[in-house]
Amino acid sequence: MEKPEHSIEQPVAIGDEVVVHIRGLQKAFGKNQVLSGFDMDVHKGENVMVLGKSGSGKSVLIKCIIGLLVPDAGVVEVLGQDMLALEHDAMDKMRVRIGFLFQSNALYDSMTVRENLEFPMRRHLTAMEPTERNDRVAKALADVGLEHTVDLMPSELSGGMRKRIGLARTLIMRPEIVLYDEPTTGLDPITSREIVELMLDLQREYGTSSILISHDLNVAKLAANQVIVLHEGIAHAQGTFDELMHSTDPVVRRFFDSL
Amino acid sequence: MARSQPLRVFAEEVGDIASFTGRFFREVFRPRFEWAELLRQSFINGYRSLPLVAVTAFIMGLVLTVQSRPTLERFGAEAMLPLMVAISVVREIGPVITALICAGKIGSSIGAELGSMKVTEQIDAMEVSGTNPFKYLVVTRVVSTTLMVPVLVVFADAIAIYASYIGVNIKGSVSWSLFHQQVFDSLAFADFIPAFIKSFFFGFAIGIVGCYKGFNTKKGTEGVGQASHSSVVVASLVIFFIDLIAVQITDILGYN
Repeated sequence: MEKPEHSIEQPVAIGDEVVVHIRGLQKAFGKNQVLSGFDMDVHKGENVMVLGKSGSGKSVLIKCIIGLLVPDAGVVEVLGQDMLALEHDAMDKMRVRIGFLFQSNALYDSMTVRENLEFPMRRHLTAMEPTERNDRVAKALADVGLEHTVDLMPSELSGGMRKRIGLARTLIMRPEIVLYDEPTTGLDPITSREIVELMLDLQREYGTSSILISHDLNVAKLAANQVIVLHEGIAHAQGTFDELMHSTDPVVRRFFDSL
Repeated sequence: MARSQPLRVFAEEVGDIASFTGRFFREVFRPRFEWAELLRQSFINGYRSLPLVAVTAFIMGLVLTVQSRPTLERFGAEAMLPLMVAISVVREIGPVITALICAGKIGSSIGAELGSMKVTEQIDAMEVSGTNPFKYLVVTRVVSTTLMVPVLVVFADAIAIYASYIGVNIKGSVSWSLFHQQVFDSLAFADFIPAFIKSFFFGFAIGIVGCYKGFNTKKGTEGVGQASHSSVVVASLVIFFIDLIAVQITDILGYN
C-alpha cells in the first residue's frame, strides 16, 4: 500500500505540556450510554482528531469538554483546570481561553459580520479602545480573506464564507485551545481543503492546540498529529494517520477501507 | 393511563415554567447587568409596538363609545358616556387589550427569535464565548416587557379616551374641555393604580412565557413555529388568569 503524502506543512512544534486531560469520561442519555470511559490527552501545539461514525458521541465529547454538557463521571482538565469544578464566572473566564467552531457555524444572524466578531471582545475586553477593536476585526477578516464582508449579514454569505467567518470569530479572542465540531461537513472538497489549510495557517500564527471531531478522513490526513477512533463510547484505537492506515483492527479498517 | 398523559404534560410544563421563573429571579439581581441590551430590547418591545397599540386603542375607544351610546340613551344617561368609557378603558379594557396585543406581537417575536437561536446553536455559541445567555437574552427581555407594557397601557388609555371624544362628537357636540372635565372628575387614583400595577404582571408574563418557550425549543424549524404560537396562546391565558386574580384582590381591598 502506498504511503499517503501529507501535502500541507504541519504547523507548530508539539510540547510536553498536556493541555487537555480526559480520563474515564462517561455520559448517558436515559438508557443510551454514549461515552463509557473515554480517555484522551492533548499536548500543547498538537492537533488531535477524534474519528467516529455519526451518533458515536463525538459532539457529546467536545460539549463535555467545554461544559455545555455535564458528564456523569470522569475527569476533564483543560489548561490545568478541573472543568467540572468551576463555578459560573470562573467557567466563563475559562471559556474565553477555549475556542469552539460549531458545525453550523452558529453566527448571530441578527448581527452583521463586524458585530459577530466584536461580540466576544465587547464582552471580555471592555478596556480595549475602539480603534484597537476595529484593527483586530480587520486582521481577523484579513486572516480568512473576507475583508469585504465586514458589513454583510450572515444570511448574505455562502456556506464556505460562513465557515471562515465562524473561524475568524472563534480565533479573535486568541484562544489557547480550539475545538472544531465537524469543520468540513456540508462543504465541497475544494472548500473543505481550503478550510483545513486555513485552520493550520492560523494555528501556525497563533500557536493553538486543537481537537477536531469529524468522520472526514481527508481532515485526518491533512491536519491531525494524532487520530483517536471513538467506538462504543471509548477510545478504541489511537495513533498517527499513517499508523491507523496500516492497522488491521476491523473497526479501524472500516473507516480506512472507505478511502 | 393514556388519559393522564395530557395532565402530566401540563403539570410538568407548569413546573418547568416555575423553575424558569425562579432562575430569572436568581439571575436578575446578580451582576453583570446588561444595560445596553436592556435598552435595545426596550426600544424594540416598547417604541416599535407604539403604532400597533395606538391603532388598536383608537379603534377600541371609538367602538366602545359608539356601541355604548344606544344603551345609555335608553336610560337617558347619555351624559354619562365619557365617564363610562373612561372607567371601562382605564380599569379593564385598556390594560387587557394592550396586553393581548403585546402577547401577539412581542411574545411571538421573542418565542420565534430565541427558538431560532436555540435550534441554530447560537445560544450555545453565546455560552461557549463566555457570555451567560440567560442573563443576556432572557433577563433583558423579561425586564423590558415588564417595564414597557405598563407604559404602552398608559399610552393606549390616553389614545382610547381621545378616540372616545371623537366618538361622542359623531352624534353630539361636546367641547374638549367639558369632555376632559367629565372624564377626570369621574376617575380616581383607585381606578388607575390597580390597573397600572396589574399591567406590570401582564408584561412579566408575556416576557417570561416567550423566553421560556423560545429557550426550550426542540425539533428544528417546526419547533420554532410551535414556540412562537404557544408563546402567544399561553401568555394570553396567563393574562386572563392574572386579571381574574387582580380583580379579586382589588375587590377585597375595596377598590371596586
